[in-house]
Amino acid sequence: MKDVTFGQYYPTNSVIHRLDPRAKLIFALVYMITIFFVASYCGYALVALFLVAVTLIAKVPLKTLLRSVKAILVIMIFTAIINIFFYHDGRVLVDWGVIQITLGGIDFAIKMALRISLLVMGTSLLSFTTTPVELTDALESLLKPLSYIKVPVHDIALIMSIALRFIPGLMEETDKIMMAQKARGAEIDTGGLIKKVKAMLPVLIPLFVSAIRRADELADALDARCYNATKHRTKMKLLKFTFKDAVAAFAVAAFVTLILLDRYLLGGLDSYIVAFFGGLAA
Amino acid sequence: MTAAFRNGRRGIYGLTGGAAAEKRLHTARVYDIIYKVFRKGGAKTGDKMNAIELKDVHFSYSRDGSGEEAVKGVTLSIEEGSFVALVGHNGSGKSTLARLLNGLLTPTNGQVTVYGVDTRDEDRIFDVRSRVGMVFQNPDNQMIATNVADDIAFGPENLGVEREEIIRRVDWALSKVGMLEYKNGTPFKLSGGQKQRLAIAGVLAIKPRVMVLDEATAMLDPKGRDEVMAVTRQLNRDEGMTVVHITHYMDEALGADRLIVMNDGAIAADGRPKEVFAQYGLLRKIKLGVPFATNVAVALHSAGLDVDPHIATEEELLEQICRLK
Amino acid sequence: MPIEVKDLEYTYSQGTPFEKKALAGIDLTVNEGDFVGILGHTGSGKSTFILHLNGLIKLQSGSIDVFGIKLVPDKKNKQDLRRLRGTVGMVFQYPEYQLFEDTVEKDVAFGPKNLGLSEEEVAGRVERAIRLVGLDYEDVRSRAPFELSGGQKRRVAIAGIIAMQPRVLVLDEPTAGLDPYGKEQILSLITKLKKECSPTVIVISHDVDEITRFASRIVVFNDGKVAFDVPMNELFRHGEELQAMGLEIPKAVRIADELRMRGIDLGDVVNADDLVRAVVRKFDKTGMDETDIAKLSAAQFDFDGLYGASASDVRSGNGGGSGEATA
Repeated sequence: MKDVTFGQYYPTNSVIHRLDPRAKLIFALVYMITIFFVASYCGYALVALFLVAVTLIAKVPLKTLLRSVKAILVIMIFTAIINIFFYHDGRVLVDWGVIQITLGGIDFAIKMALRISLLVMGTSLLSFTTTPVELTDALESLLKPLSYIKVPVHDIALIMSIALRFIPGLMEETDKIMMAQKARGAEIDTGGLIKKVKAMLPVLIPLFVSAIRRADELADALDARCYNATKHRTKMKLLKFTFKDAVAAFAVAAFVTLILLDRYLLGGLDSYIVAFFGGLAA
Repeated sequence: MTAAFRNGRRGIYGLTGGAAAEKRLHTARVYDIIYKVFRKGGAKTGDKMNAIELKDVHFSYSRDGSGEEAVKGVTLSIEEGSFVALVGHNGSGKSTLARLLNGLLTPTNGQVTVYGVDTRDEDRIFDVRSRVGMVFQNPDNQMIATNVADDIAFGPENLGVEREEIIRRVDWALSKVGMLEYKNGTPFKLSGGQKQRLAIAGVLAIKPRVMVLDEATAMLDPKGRDEVMAVTRQLNRDEGMTVVHITHYMDEALGADRLIVMNDGAIAADGRPKEVFAQYGLLRKIKLGVPFATNVAVALHSAGLDVDPHIATEEELLEQICRLK
Repeated sequence: MPIEVKDLEYTYSQGTPFEKKALAGIDLTVNEGDFVGILGHTGSGKSTFILHLNGLIKLQSGSIDVFGIKLVPDKKNKQDLRRLRGTVGMVFQYPEYQLFEDTVEKDVAFGPKNLGLSEEEVAGRVERAIRLVGLDYEDVRSRAPFELSGGQKRRVAIAGIIAMQPRVLVLDEPTAGLDPYGKEQILSLITKLKKECSPTVIVISHDVDEITRFASRIVVFNDGKVAFDVPMNELFRHGEELQAMGLEIPKAVRIADELRMRGIDLGDVVNADDLVRAVVRKFDKTGMDETDIAKLSAAQFDFDGLYGASASDVRSGNGGGSGEATA
């Protein structure tokens, strides 16, 4: 908890970890958009294959990747149920009057579930292989053009990195305050919801006060270190687009091409497979 | 000649704007080099210049200047290269005074000048802040990055220093505080003393000529306090850094060139530490107390022993007691 | 037996790569009336230890008995915990950071209310506690805590603990961040509280010169173990051990040692008061007797008007002795 690598960073120092964070951020975006173009189960299989390949190269255990889906399992099941009952298309399998289950509904529900889980796993993979600080740097660098239209990109990036920097400290502080109030007989983790919320006040108020006090001191420290001295701020850390980033870009491009090919040229490989098996059956 | 040179510099600094700012910082560096050579010459003739000058400075936290003043008419010059200890009880106005030294606060009345620059001159506030670095009480609240090197680089980055120079400065600053081996680590797992040394390095990277430590030892354990004091003394000795050390601990004031005592927003005593501690009655009256050795000597003296109460160090106390034999 | 700790072990983040042993077998007995000073550098386990006394971290191994309330691993008894928290008052570092109510009175009442006391009882305790810590009850009761000065806030926070009327008072770095006067105020407050409210006091401090002026017994923690446990007046024999652990030797001890090397033997000296008395005893020519000498003090400020008790009073009342039980 007190560690900097809070969040999900899984340090293995693989090639994927060492990619330019800007490239990774763009790849993740491309990946997310691409998922919405997937048209067939074969396409999903391809996405899964791609994801597994990247995970293996990143030396992140597949189990860890799957665990990230667990967090949204409830939402996924809920969406699936809604889809099954309310999306009507194709052959009717069950008909209970108001409630109908159709083949198309099941198909849609499964595809939706696949889409959500692949999305989540993809973004998790990004956070397994990229530290929050790298992400902030990448974001700042990518958004830099916006600073020409007076968007305070550096300020935003600084706010983000300060937030990241202070979260572990505030968590530690919460722990301390909680102990202090428990020592005064406060029962924080018992009772119903309202009671719990009320019981949290003795923790939340001091925490809030402390956050403000820290912010105040930090503001002085930033000023004292000449924050905003010049518009031409320099950066020590250089983000560099290298050969391995280019290779990765080609891999991502190939992946996107395959998905688009499946959708637009073949109209979904599934139908061919179905036709093939249909032919066999006949 | 000093004054003439400073006026010349003021002309250079008159530039404003983005590209001009960089040029300005560049010329400031050139100036630093010339200045160093010049200062050596000056020192020979005994002509010491003042790093900071305060003229009848008043400060009130209420916006319209009414209400009680935290600083009530302080006039003070801090000599270049000196080690000044500033003590006072909580609420005596010493932290307010510290913030007036680098323009974090500007006087409601009176004037503060840093190397000739008025801290109220908004165009040149960063000339002031890059000359007067400041270390605060809580080391956790002055670090902005999760990586040591990034944190040290923050100041020079803000000033638009070239990348190669920043890298050099990071190494230099970390070696000055003896923390070079932690360069690629994270600050979180370090001890309080180490974190505060990093905070000093972060300030050093700006290449200030004055370092203000605002109760920078208050939250540390004795070991951490010793570390920070050792680093500060070394900077003063080896780099000629002017140090203003604000503290509660009377014993930390012992090695200073000069001790200034604040009480109720004004200067209550000012002089060599030994001279100031000799006024132990006053120091107790204004709720400050005296160093351990002075305290014991005073107690012995008032018990009727032939002991000189006007001492400050343990060595002097030993001598006094040995003399009784 | 008031407090008995046996074989206490504790490991942080057990079973993860970040595993860290904080306590490696602590045996400690504290008697009623003890004024225990705990010394130890950061990470020596002293803070982890005192958290156990209040059941604030789960017991992993060993046993704790506080006035008959027994804690053993894997047993969670809410009733016991509640009783424990009423028995052991815990003042954390920078306790003013835990204030949260809009008035001083309400904040001080938080603890006793949680103990399930009646409203009159709570009100009475709140008033007594606020007066006990030397604040003007009528003046501060309905003021917001944030209006007060740093030292006053800290005293309000201590009043919040005192109002629970604990038999044992545990304080972690009670003077941290205060100026010399504020420190002395808190220290003499503690001696007063020991006399009038909680007869057993345990104080963690890293300022050895401070702790030696008040405690009757010193326990030194090192690497999760009790390195030594001695009555205060024997501490001067352990100077080298303290130094080896990276702790400071009390200044008075250092000076007495130096004087011994220069041919002046002052006998047992631990703190500034001892030093002054010993020197006077040796070199006085005016014929002071022992009672006069015992009145001498190196205290910088006089709080007799404020708190009623002087520090030396309390110490000489309980001095030494109590440490031998486990030493």
